[in-house]
Formats: sequence, C-alpha cells, structure tokens
Amino acid sequence: MNTSLGKLWDTWGITAILLLLLAVAPVVTPDFFSLDNAQSVLRESAYLGIVAAGMTFAIASGAFDLSVGGQLALCSVVSLMGYAAGGTALAVAAALATGLACGLVNAGLITRLRVPPFVATLGTLFVFRGVAYILTQDGPKTLPYDQIGSPFVKIGGLNVAGLPLPFVIMLAVYGGAWVLLRRTATGRRVLAYGSSPEAARFCGISATRLRFFVFALVGLSVGIAALTYITRVWTADGSAQDGFELKVIAAVVLGGTSLKGGKGTLIGTFSAVLLVSVLNDMLVSQGVPSAYQRIVLGGVLIVALTIDGLRTRFAAPGSLRRAVTGQGGRTPRPGLAR
Amino acid sequence: MMLKKVFVPLVAVGALVLAGCTDSNADNPGAPKDDKIVVGFSVYDMQYEFFQKMEKGTREAATAKGWEFKLHDEKSDENEMVTGAQALIDQGVDVLIISPFKPSALGPIIAKAKAKGVPVIVDDIGGGGAPYDAIVISDNAGGGKLAAEYMAKQIAANGKTSKNVASITCEPSAVYAARRNAGFKEAIEAAGFKVVAELSGNSKAEEGYKVMKDIMAKNPDVAGVFSCNDPMGVAAANAVKDAGKNPVTDIVTVGFNADPEALTAIKGGGLAATVAQDPTAMGALTVKLAGQALNKEAITFGNAAEREVFNPVLLVTKENVATIK
Repeated sequence: MNTSLGKLWDTWGITAILLLLLAVAPVVTPDFFSLDNAQSVLRESAYLGIVAAGMTFAIASGAFDLSVGGQLALCSVVSLMGYAAGGTALAVAAALATGLACGLVNAGLITRLRVPPFVATLGTLFVFRGVAYILTQDGPKTLPYDQIGSPFVKIGGLNVAGLPLPFVIMLAVYGGAWVLLRRTATGRRVLAYGSSPEAARFCGISATRLRFFVFALVGLSVGIAALTYITRVWTADGSAQDGFELKVIAAVVLGGTSLKGGKGTLIGTFSAVLLVSVLNDMLVSQGVPSAYQRIVLGGVLIVALTIDGLRTRFAAPGSLRRAVTGQGGRTPRPGLAR
Repeated sequence: MMLKKVFVPLVAVGALVLAGCTDSNADNPGAPKDDKIVVGFSVYDMQYEFFQKMEKGTREAATAKGWEFKLHDEKSDENEMVTGAQALIDQGVDVLIISPFKPSALGPIIAKAKAKGVPVIVDDIGGGGAPYDAIVISDNAGGGKLAAEYMAKQIAANGKTSKNVASITCEPSAVYAARRNAGFKEAIEAAGFKVVAELSGNSKAEEGYKVMKDIMAKNPDVAGVFSCNDPMGVAAANAVKDAGKNPVTDIVTVGFNADPEALTAIKGGGLAATVAQDPTAMGALTVKLAGQALNKEAITFGNAAEREVFNPVLLVTKENVATIK
C-alpha cells in the first residue's frame, strides 16, 4: 500500500465502511431509510458522538478519560434539577457548568496530585456517579409530561431542515473540533504532546495547561451531550448510561485514533459513531438477541483494529514520520513551540 | 479552505441520505398499512424469568388474535427503552405495550405515540405520570387480602386465641407494596384481629429480621406476621425460628412475591405462605386491553384515577407450592 493510499485509509477508511453499510442497510431493513428511522438513528447517535469528539482530543494527547459515564449521569441529573428550579436557561447552563467542573477536577487531580489520567478518571468515574446517586436518592430526576411544549424538551425532539437538532449540534461540535485540532496551534500541541510528551516539553509546551485544556474540553463535550441525552430520555439518575465510557473509547478507536496518542481523526470518529448506530439499528430491527448484538459490535472493533494493525505493519516509511509528528505525513508547521 | 473540503461532502452525504428517505407520515397517519394489526412489545429485560413469562403471555395472546408481534428488549437501560420503543412506533405498530425499565422515561415514548395515534398499554412497574391508555398491575391489595384470609384460617387451625398480628412494610416510596399492606390490614381487621405493630423493613431482609425480633419482644403473643415482600418475609420467619418458634404453627409468617427463596422455605416448612404474581396472565391482559384501546372501547379500570387494571394474584402455601414454577 503506498503512502497516499494509506493516508486516505487513515482518514476515510471507516467512512468507506459506513457508506458500504448504508448501501446494505435497506436490503436488511426495508424501513431503514424511512424518514422516521433515519432521524431516530441520527438523534440517537448524537450524545455518543459529541463525547467521542472530546475523547478524540484526550486519546490523541495520549490520555483516557474514563469518567465520562459518571460525568454524563451527573450533568444530566444536575441539568434536570436546574430545569426544575429555573427552566431552560438554567438547565442548559447547569449541564455545561457541571461538565466543565468535572473536567477541571480531573485535570486538577492529574496535574496537581500527579495521578496518571487512567487512574484519576477511573476514580472520578465512581465519584461522579456516586454524587449523581446521592442527588437522586428520592428517585430519578425527570422532565414531567406537562413540560412537553417547553423549549428545553425541543432540544431533543426538534428537526432542523429534516435533521434532528441533536445531530445538528453534533455536526457543529465536529466542525468546531476539527478546526481546533487541525487549524490551531493548540490542536497541534495536543498531537505533539500525544506523540512524545518529552519532545513536546522541550518545545515549550506546558503539560499542565495542556491537561487542563484537554480534560476541560472533554467535560464540556459531556455537558453538551447530556443536553441532547436528557431531552430525549427525560429522566436520569446515578445509573444513567452505565458503561458509557467504553462505548465512547471504542468509537474513537474504531475511527482510527491511535491509543498510543499523537494521532487523532475526527472524521474517523464521526463515521465510527454513525457506523455503530447504524449497525445497532440494523441488529435491533432484525430482532437479534442483545447478547449477540454485543458480540457483533465487539467483533467489528476487533476486525477493524486488526486491519489497521496489518496496514500499519506493511505501510510505507511515511507512516513512521506520521507517528512522530502526528501531522499525517505533512511537514510540521511552525508554531508548534510557543 | 480545508474545512469545506471535509465537511461539505459529509453534510452532502447526510442530506442525500435524508432526501432519499420516504416520509412514512405522508401515507395515512395512524392507520394500519394493511389489515393485519401489528403490536409492539417493549420488555424490561429478557434476562429475567418474570419478563420471559410476561413476553410469552403477550406474544401468545397477540398471535391468538391473529396479530403480528414485534418484540424489543430494553436490556435494563432507559436509553435503549426510549430508542427501541420509539423505533417500534416508527416501524408502524398499531398499538404499543411496554413494561418500562424506568417509568419516568415513558414521557418521550408516549409523546411520540400520541403524535401518531398509537395507544400505549403499560405492563407493570409504573406509569411515571405519563398519559398512557391503561396500566396493568398485580392486584396488590387483593394479594394482601388473600394473605389475611389465609392467616386468619391458619391461626384458628393452630388453636391460638390471640387476636394480635403484625405487618412489616416496604419503604414509603414503594407505592404498590404499600397497597399490599393496606389490603392485608383491612381484611385481617375485618376478621376480628388487631394489627399491633406495623413497621418498615425498607424491603430488606436484614431489617426485616431485626423488626421481627422487636415485634416478638414487645408482643410475645403475636399470632401472625405479614411482610410486604419475600426477602423480609423469609427473614421474619428466620427470626421466628431463632426464637424457638415455628413460622407455620406458632406465628403464621406470610411473605409476598413468590421469590425462589420463599418457595424453597415454604417447601421446607420455613415460611407459611406467599403471594404469587402471574406475569403470563398480565401479558395476556395487556393484549386484551390493547384490543379494546384500538377499537376505542371503554376499559374497565380497577382504579380509574390512574387508569389501573388489576391482574389477579395467587396464594402459595405448602399445598400448592409444587405447582408454582
């Protein structure tokens, strides 16, 4: 495989598989492209997709955020409490502020107490969930049915030009994230740090500031995702979205972002999220028992990573440079160092 | 710029995909596509025997009516519950039956069903304050009454003259469980007994054990005790045994729910009785109500305020425990 083809696969490989799946979908599920079903798939994929965008930054920087499941539960619960207390504006502000606060707590633990990200966020996963459980001791927080006409509920239900609003929000998040990762010095610092923290430090990149940036970004993405989640499900407690963190990481990895850091593809993550949603929709509509659904999704992840591993092993020399610079084989741009 | 190069094709693909969609709203909203009625059943979790029986009852009753049956498994997940139940509505089911993992997540499902004119029958768990057409629940008050009638008879058979009995309740937020106690209290008092202690064991075995010890210490002549669930019932029976008495012939100990450990205890004489719910019959009842809702017939409610329809329960004692699975 030559370099340019390899590069193309890096970014668009999973997208190609997604398009292939979309071509097969109507054969398997005749109703797949009904407007209702297509909208449902897109609406459903938004909260996973939005957090996966944030997680792409974390993994590209060489770190995990395992606490996103706890963050999502906490953001959802606090947002519903905000809605009960002060309506839509407070609910939105509460979700975003809670997400941001969770991210800052994570970054603080990692940088000030020098706990590795994996361990720190594993701890806060339990802490955030625990707090969400305490807040919902008297039962789950909910949106009452009589609030059906409120603007807050509309976030999850409204369509903009045929596209569900949660999906439109997800598109906007990916647009912003892509610019941030590919077109700003901050994004290049994230990739450089992920490739080699030592080299990045020599270039003058502050590890502390980078950690705060990345984990705050993940927290904020969870805050946004929580808004699209609760306005669709209308209820949350401490158990909301158990195991969410692993689904997010699976989507990011499936998209082609390397767990070793230094390489991140938002287009890949985006396509992987849709791939998982489409596949899930097909399996459910076919009445495949839930145990087999899990096995199929796990199998897809393993196959995708195997293909990727084979490709990397036989790839042209350009891949080495890519791995070092995190620049997709392009010449590193000036501005890497401050 | 590069941004355009990447995102314009992506959005274009999305737009194309949606443009190719057929608007299923366009053709006759709410009306079945053909003569065959399609019923969707969204089940709490097929891992549990209780819901396997409920699914069987629902499916068999629907098939007997000549309906097409579509199943969705919520897998104990509120997100899956909303996504899957809404997908059933998208697929054009004529009526939706749902045993909700989180009753508080029924809102968006019923909102969608209402928009499409699809009736919703809830099976057990709770209604979450949403405008469903009907909810089927076990006759909890009736179960309490069965327990009371059995207890009165057994106390007489034991040759006890004491008219003092007690009950161990669940936490106050367990609304349906509270009805068990209310039904028990009403019937046992009507039989001339006095409930001398009515204490909460918070649904937990260890608290049920402690509460029973207290009851026996303060009321040494207590002749029977009713617990609102089986973990507490079996624990109370253990407390009776630990006090050197028999939970059948000395202090008639009755539980509720027919949990496996309660059935085992009844077989071994370690518990007097329990009350069994019948999920298979509950499933069949939801299908009957679904038919009535589709035909716009009036539904007879056990409790009209909450649109509740009660399904009968069964008393389980040593005599019939072998027939309960």
